[in-house]
Amino acid sequence: MAATLSLTWRRYALGRWVLLLLVFLLLALPLPQVLIPERRLVTDSLLFSFTQMFILITLASNWNLTGGLTGYVDFGHAVFFGLGAYGTGILMGQPPWELWPEMLTGWNFWPALFIGGIVAAIFAVLIGSATLRLKGPYFSIAMLGTFVAMRELVRVVRPLTGGGVGLTLPPVLNRPLFYYLTLFMACLVVALMWWIRRTEFGSTLIAIREDEVGAEMRGINTTLHKITAFWIAAFLSGLVGGIWAYQNTYIDPDIVFVPTRTIDMVMMTMLGGLGTIAGPVIGATIIYWLRDVVWSNFLLYHQIFEGVLLIIIVLFASEGIMGLLGGSSGTGLGRLMRKWFRSTSNRKQPV
Amino acid sequence: MSNHNNGQEPLLEGRSVSKNFGGLAALHNVDFVLYPGEIAGLIGPNGSGKTTLFDCLSRVQDITAGQVFFKGVEITRKKPYQVAHMGLARTFQVIRVYPKLTVLENMLLSRQWRGEGLLSQLRPSHPDTEERARQLIDFLLLDHLIDERAGNLSGGQQRLLEIGMALMPDPDLILLDEATSGINPTLIEAIKDRIRQLNKEQGKTFLLIEHNIQFIADLCSRVFVLNYGEKLAEGTPDEIAENEAVIEAYFGT
Repeated sequence: MAATLSLTWRRYALGRWVLLLLVFLLLALPLPQVLIPERRLVTDSLLFSFTQMFILITLASNWNLTGGLTGYVDFGHAVFFGLGAYGTGILMGQPPWELWPEMLTGWNFWPALFIGGIVAAIFAVLIGSATLRLKGPYFSIAMLGTFVAMRELVRVVRPLTGGGVGLTLPPVLNRPLFYYLTLFMACLVVALMWWIRRTEFGSTLIAIREDEVGAEMRGINTTLHKITAFWIAAFLSGLVGGIWAYQNTYIDPDIVFVPTRTIDMVMMTMLGGLGTIAGPVIGATIIYWLRDVVWSNFLLYHQIFEGVLLIIIVLFASEGIMGLLGGSSGTGLGRLMRKWFRSTSNRKQPV
Repeated sequence: MSNHNNGQEPLLEGRSVSKNFGGLAALHNVDFVLYPGEIAGLIGPNGSGKTTLFDCLSRVQDITAGQVFFKGVEITRKKPYQVAHMGLARTFQVIRVYPKLTVLENMLLSRQWRGEGLLSQLRPSHPDTEERARQLIDFLLLDHLIDERAGNLSGGQQRLLEIGMALMPDPDLILLDEATSGINPTLIEAIKDRIRQLNKEQGKTFLLIEHNIQFIADLCSRVFVLNYGEKLAEGTPDEIAENEAVIEAYFGT
């Protein structure tokens, strides 16, 4: 007992050092070109790749807060990313609508980004109060519907969003800035999730996932907890959306509200392990680089690889990589769904 | 003993509680009163509506008609967590523990909640809560499993854990739904002693659903019998044992 304990502790401590070293390496990567513009340790395109990876890690971790920890599998989480992108974009850019107040245009990036996140969070509270009452697949479908409806709404409200023509943001070409910004976001979100998991609030989220009726009967206000987790995730995804919009300098409904963005979050979290802290990080890293390699070598077939990978996860590693390592409080999509079907088949419907 | 509650305010009261599932009347006009400080039993053949009555009284299910009062306050429309805050705890016939959390975490989450803000939950559990959880885990002889995930425990151990989770918030009323099924006889005796002790020393009220008639006879001062969703009889265990309607319901004629 004591031997295993100290071994676990040593592994834990070692893991922490490896993590710290990794973060330092990532911090140092673009340093030469920040100090001397002509010197480059890595190419700009590699920095860009890392930036995209950090964005995916952050999004997958956010998704994991509701999907993995709380067990509400959200198929429309990209709606919050989109709201953040448009919130930031409208405040920084110049909407075509003449009635749009002058003081709400041409903002600085930072306040615009913050408001973008707030917009996503407020929308999460509103939509969550309705959709979080639904269970299992009903919730997933309702959120997918929300996502599609929001994309069309953005397309229709042309005076404000530019509709299909899109909005242009003030251009900025500073790869290291976005690299550091997204790296910071990824570290912040992972640290936040690690901390939440260690608080009572984090445990209640898992309790809700494991047995919502039991949690409610034991005095936990499940609705309040679910909505809180939901808006925290939405706020953070809104921030990522804002950063993405600024980096991209142009947004329109079809590049912001991409359905595969949510599917990416689900898949990456599933591969790493639903409801674990390291899971989304591992999953996002693996899938991002795998996609990079496969895409550049087998352009025509690259999506087949992902499909096969998904089938392999579902069949052989239902709780992801962290599940295979054992001892995690994570779960799998199949287990969540089975739980739901069992609870509905036992439930007698009152008339 | 059954008369000592005269003039006392009921702790839990159901007035003409009815519950329909589609065309099936699971409960029909059941009147039910529980006084503070009693240990009462609820028995009846399978499918007689015992668990449904439990679910209706503890607000896990909405009732079709009637009213439920707890401590003199109507709780017919209250949320289950609000009823829990008022001091009602229960176990379930189908075990409801959190399988992926450890035994200790399960206990910690069953602490007394009083509707405090979310901000106060952004920290690990309070040391006093943990102390209480550890004591209860020791009592239930689960101390060697304290860091084990609840899903890895045997059925009997999970049931013990659930009893611990019901005791954890220090409630005034505890509803135990078939709490002794699958638990070994020595431990049943220990649980019996614990129930008696909590009842005598702290005045806790218990309502037990049991198929273990000996358990009921040893503990309860009053027994309710349900059959086909209606109250068939009510009285001391001895009275119930001699009641012909009850005997007929259980054994047929």
